Amino acid sequence: MEMIKIKINSKECVGQKGQTILDIAKANGIEIPTLCHHESVKLYGACGICLVEGENMPKLMRACSTVASDGMVLYTDSERVKKVRAVALELLMSDHEGDCKGPCTLNCPAGTDCQGYVKQIALGNDREAVKIIKDKLPLPASIGRVCPHPCETACRRTKVEEPISIAYLKYFAADRVLADNPYIPQPEKSSGKSVAIIGGGPAGLTAAYFLALKGHAVKIYDTMPKMGGMLRYGIPEYRLPKKVLDAEIAEIASVGVEMINNVKIGADITLAQLREENCAVLVAIGAWKNTGLRCKGEELDGVMGGIEFLRHVALGEDAKIGNKVAVVGGGNTAMDACRTAVRLGAEKVYVIYRRTRDEMPAEKIEISEAMEEGVEFKFLTNPAEIIDENGKVTSVKLQVMELGEPDASGRRSPVAVEGKFETLEVDNVICAIGQKVNVAGFEEIELNRWGIISADEKYFTTSLEGVFAVGDATNKGASIAIDAIGEANKAASVIDGYLNGMDTPYVAPVLSKREPEDSYFEQFEKAERIKMPVRPAEERKHDFKEINLGFEEEKARAEAARCLECGCHDYADCKLIRYADRYRVDTCKLAGEKHQCFTEKRLEVIERDQGKCILCNLCVRACREDAKQGILGLVGRGFGTVIRPEFNKPETIHVCADCHKCVDVCPTGALKLLK
Amino acid sequence: MRIVIGEGSCGIAAGAHKVYEAIEKLGIKPDVTGCIGMCFLEPIVDIYGENGELVRRLVRVTAGDAEKIVTAVKNGELSLLDSITISADDSAFLEKQTRIALRNCGVIDPTDIDAYISRGGYSALGKVLKMTPEQVIDEIKISGLAGRGGAGFPTWFKWNAARQSVSDTKYLICNADEGDPGAFMDRAVIESDPHNLIEGMLIGAYAIGAKEAVVYVRAEYPLAIVRLEEAIRQAEEKGYLGENILGSGFSCHMRIKAGAGAFVCGEETALIESLEGKRGMPRLKPPFPAQRGYNDEPSNINNVETFANVAWIINNGGEAFAAMGTENSKGTKVFALTGKIRRGGLVEVPMGMTIRDIIYDIGGGIRGDRECKAVQLGGPSGGCIPSDKFDTLIDYKELAATGAIMGSGGMVVMDDTTCMVGMAKFFLDFTAKESCGKCVHCRIGTKRLLEILDRITKGEGKDGDIELLEELCVAVKDGALCGLGQTAPNPVLSTIRYFRDEYEAHINEKRCPTCECADLVTYYIEAEKCKGCTLCSKKCPVSAISGDVKQPHIIDMDKCIKCGQCKSVCRFDAVFVR
Repeated sequence: MEMIKIKINSKECVGQKGQTILDIAKANGIEIPTLCHHESVKLYGACGICLVEGENMPKLMRACSTVASDGMVLYTDSERVKKVRAVALELLMSDHEGDCKGPCTLNCPAGTDCQGYVKQIALGNDREAVKIIKDKLPLPASIGRVCPHPCETACRRTKVEEPISIAYLKYFAADRVLADNPYIPQPEKSSGKSVAIIGGGPAGLTAAYFLALKGHAVKIYDTMPKMGGMLRYGIPEYRLPKKVLDAEIAEIASVGVEMINNVKIGADITLAQLREENCAVLVAIGAWKNTGLRCKGEELDGVMGGIEFLRHVALGEDAKIGNKVAVVGGGNTAMDACRTAVRLGAEKVYVIYRRTRDEMPAEKIEISEAMEEGVEFKFLTNPAEIIDENGKVTSVKLQVMELGEPDASGRRSPVAVEGKFETLEVDNVICAIGQKVNVAGFEEIELNRWGIISADEKYFTTSLEGVFAVGDATNKGASIAIDAIGEANKAASVIDGYLNGMDTPYVAPVLSKREPEDSYFEQFEKAERIKMPVRPAEERKHDFKEINLGFEEEKARAEAARCLECGCHDYADCKLIRYADRYRVDTCKLAGEKHQCFTEKRLEVIERDQGKCILCNLCVRACREDAKQGILGLVGRGFGTVIRPEFNKPETIHVCADCHKCVDVCPTGALKLLK
Repeated sequence: MRIVIGEGSCGIAAGAHKVYEAIEKLGIKPDVTGCIGMCFLEPIVDIYGENGELVRRLVRVTAGDAEKIVTAVKNGELSLLDSITISADDSAFLEKQTRIALRNCGVIDPTDIDAYISRGGYSALGKVLKMTPEQVIDEIKISGLAGRGGAGFPTWFKWNAARQSVSDTKYLICNADEGDPGAFMDRAVIESDPHNLIEGMLIGAYAIGAKEAVVYVRAEYPLAIVRLEEAIRQAEEKGYLGENILGSGFSCHMRIKAGAGAFVCGEETALIESLEGKRGMPRLKPPFPAQRGYNDEPSNINNVETFANVAWIINNGGEAFAAMGTENSKGTKVFALTGKIRRGGLVEVPMGMTIRDIIYDIGGGIRGDRECKAVQLGGPSGGCIPSDKFDTLIDYKELAATGAIMGSGGMVVMDDTTCMVGMAKFFLDFTAKESCGKCVHCRIGTKRLLEILDRITKGEGKDGDIELLEELCVAVKDGALCGLGQTAPNPVLSTIRYFRDEYEAHINEKRCPTCECADLVTYYIEAEKCKGCTLCSKKCPVSAISGDVKQPHIIDMDKCIKCGQCKSVCRFDAVFVR
């Protein structure tokens, strides 16, 4: 066999005479992307992705079909090559109708593969579901209980009737796996690098988990007696039983995370020390200070912060509340506070909120459950003054409000009705209107203008070398747990890169998205969302035992089966999106009319989604050349070209059932085997 | 005297056959010839003297002229025909040409092989059969003949490559799938001089060693197919085609394949696929057709005009052909001169002539004495050449340097009323529709180019559109598999190159400088000029014009569809566009 030598990207490559550039590159470990090439069929040369540039050659060459000649000097990564590939990918993406990921996943701050785990739950594979969840968040049983589930907000099933109960399904599966045979992945071998994480809340725990799995030595330092942060000290037992949280924290510890409690930074140990002792430090201290009411009397005995109140209760301390309690605020903390007050035995609990029920940021279910438990809502009121007798709160004077013009966020802003007040007799005022960051001990780190730690959005770096920060303590301040978890997961990957001397910022993946028309949803039969069974209000309001009773298995499986499966089944293997991401293409740059997009099941066992077809013709060729059938063919010309089955004879369908070579070679999610 | 009527498709369309019937009815049976190329004067009737010399050329003849013609011919009073005789000025159209490929067009009866033979036809074949194939290829090499279909690749090289390929079965294919909008020289050759094509092909077949020849003709050329079928039959009858041609031992059969109706089938590898009965889509090259073509056998494909030069070269010698033209481009080239030209038609000129000479000396300049803005050369694959570059020579290299191409010879002349963005859009619309759909850059790229151009002509252009067009054009050229896609961006690139200001006016000022883009113009009636004749209001298809008789009319902008009818019918120049 005659051998030839060619140069690809300055690398000397040896190949056999007669071999194509693509084959020689592959044999020499150089990947040249292609979409329409496959070993099982003849050369075609349609996609224009494998183009390479040759020295002293005016035209670019298709690597898949150009036979290399001795002495060729080739470039697979020149600017011209990158450009022509990027344009091909931009063109394909502009003509692509499909969702790489479902709206649930896209709207989840942690990017959890909701569709993926919901499907596994529907199939009865709870352990597989938990594995999928834990790829993004290590606390599924806890988060499944408390998350305000942005995934469900985005769920397209809403257009049929109601969203999938994604969050509760998550804890359904997680509880079962936890009780049965916990899923704990094996960490990689030790890297010899260490990371100190300050704060053992959802962010700190998440980062610790993923960094430990990467083989790093991770220690979490927390100022409280136990790990869990706000999940433990901010969320009442009746919503998240601490034994669930304990079990999940124990799992995190079991992958090699060391947890050190009762350590106050600045007092027991300094940030400087931690920096000295570790390769990297992650600050995830949360936002544990209450925002003040800014009204007269807020300093009085009997006035306290919402998170402060909840913390006392969680710690088993005497929360020192009287019989009549007013909670100010409309968020979830306010709901937690008022319902905790009910459980502590307060006879009268009020919620003071300056807008109406519709504007309340708290979960709808929380509001209705609080109402069921007897909490009285004073909508359109705002504390004007807290009145005392001998320094002890006796009542609160409320300014009556009305709704004015919508503000920038679209919510109608409350306006005081001049001179209109009412008074509420209370023993306590619990103020749950916001949280601030306590930066004591972190003075060296640069803060933003709101007094919050400033962290880079792609690198999560702070002003100090080797110090990273995530979660409520950074940038935009307090948010929901899953937000902090998402950041922590991304930061863990950035820190892992940093520890390995690599520059690996978090970059959002390039994705295809679509917006189906309302008519699309008409094909689905209505199936009601399953309600979470809860303990009756009269019973539950007297104790801290969990309210939710959990899904029955059969109902959970049925609920999971409601999923419309919006995301592409082939996302993980799709070559198109992989290349689009690699070349960082702008999917909207060349937006224009799309070719005919429809799905068809004429082949019965194979579903064809024309919207995702890139006309690489591999299916047609595989069917003709490999399967010797010729069932598929190209129809139409130019932009209107589509692939259609030639006939719909029963015997061909039979052949398809046993063959599906077309599905195997499809580089995108255009073909799907149904059985 | 002999009356000869030009009955090419164009002549027939203009009414030539009605003239024929009218004359025949009056007792003289006219002879028929093909197309002389003077489209602007059709129908044309030639009167030949007793010695076979052309004594009168009558133009724009109608059936009503038949009696006059018959009388004049019968009585020898040709002066009766002065009013329909070609003017000296129009005669210049032919005088400045050099006709090799078209030498018999409009001169002989295309349905009669003897007419061809009497003009030296098939003598080249006889000569060739006494030469070795290598000698034939050498002669073609000396001539410098290059592919006239557009690419301009040296003909001898392709022949030689096919000759060198070892196989018992080889094919010679003629690409007669002429598809460029505005180009019709191949049709004229087949309709007017089919034997010239057959002879050229036979010489090619002998040179490469092919025993089978196929002519892939556009199905939309029915007359060409009929005449070629008849010519093949006659040639077979006379022993020029078939087994043991002229006793030489060389055999070659010829057949016709009607095209599949797709522009891309003019691309040689797509043509082969189509010949094989498959969907017309280009193949990867290599292997080149000379190595593995039709039925996976060595095949050579040339265009009609290329073959039409071959017999002449053999008869007159390669050197005589090479004596014409420039260093890089030899012989002659046929152009289909169309657009805003005074004298449009088929012109064959020696290489090295300037564009200016073709437009002004042969074509007689611009219709209505307007200002010439540019010519589009090479149809949808070509580019435009602005009037300040009209001294460019007809030469493959020189034309390519301007961003245009020689192409198959479409030459569309544009005056100052032609919107260049609209022109680019027209060609992109064509290529986008004719893309076979195989490769990404062409299938989606041309579509997106068209969409951007469409947006610009509708006044929805955005800052950055020109750069986006350029970026996309470069990628489509680089990424497309075949000539169709690789050249499709040319009309856009060359109009941006020479008329960027027009693009900018559309995008930045939402204005079409030529007032051709309907979405960007408004029609007005100037009250002072309007006499209230009501003609425009009667012609308006959407009743957008109102006004009393003898009172100035007005156009309702909401109803107006900007068709321009009012402007074209107004006798007082009262309608204007802004």
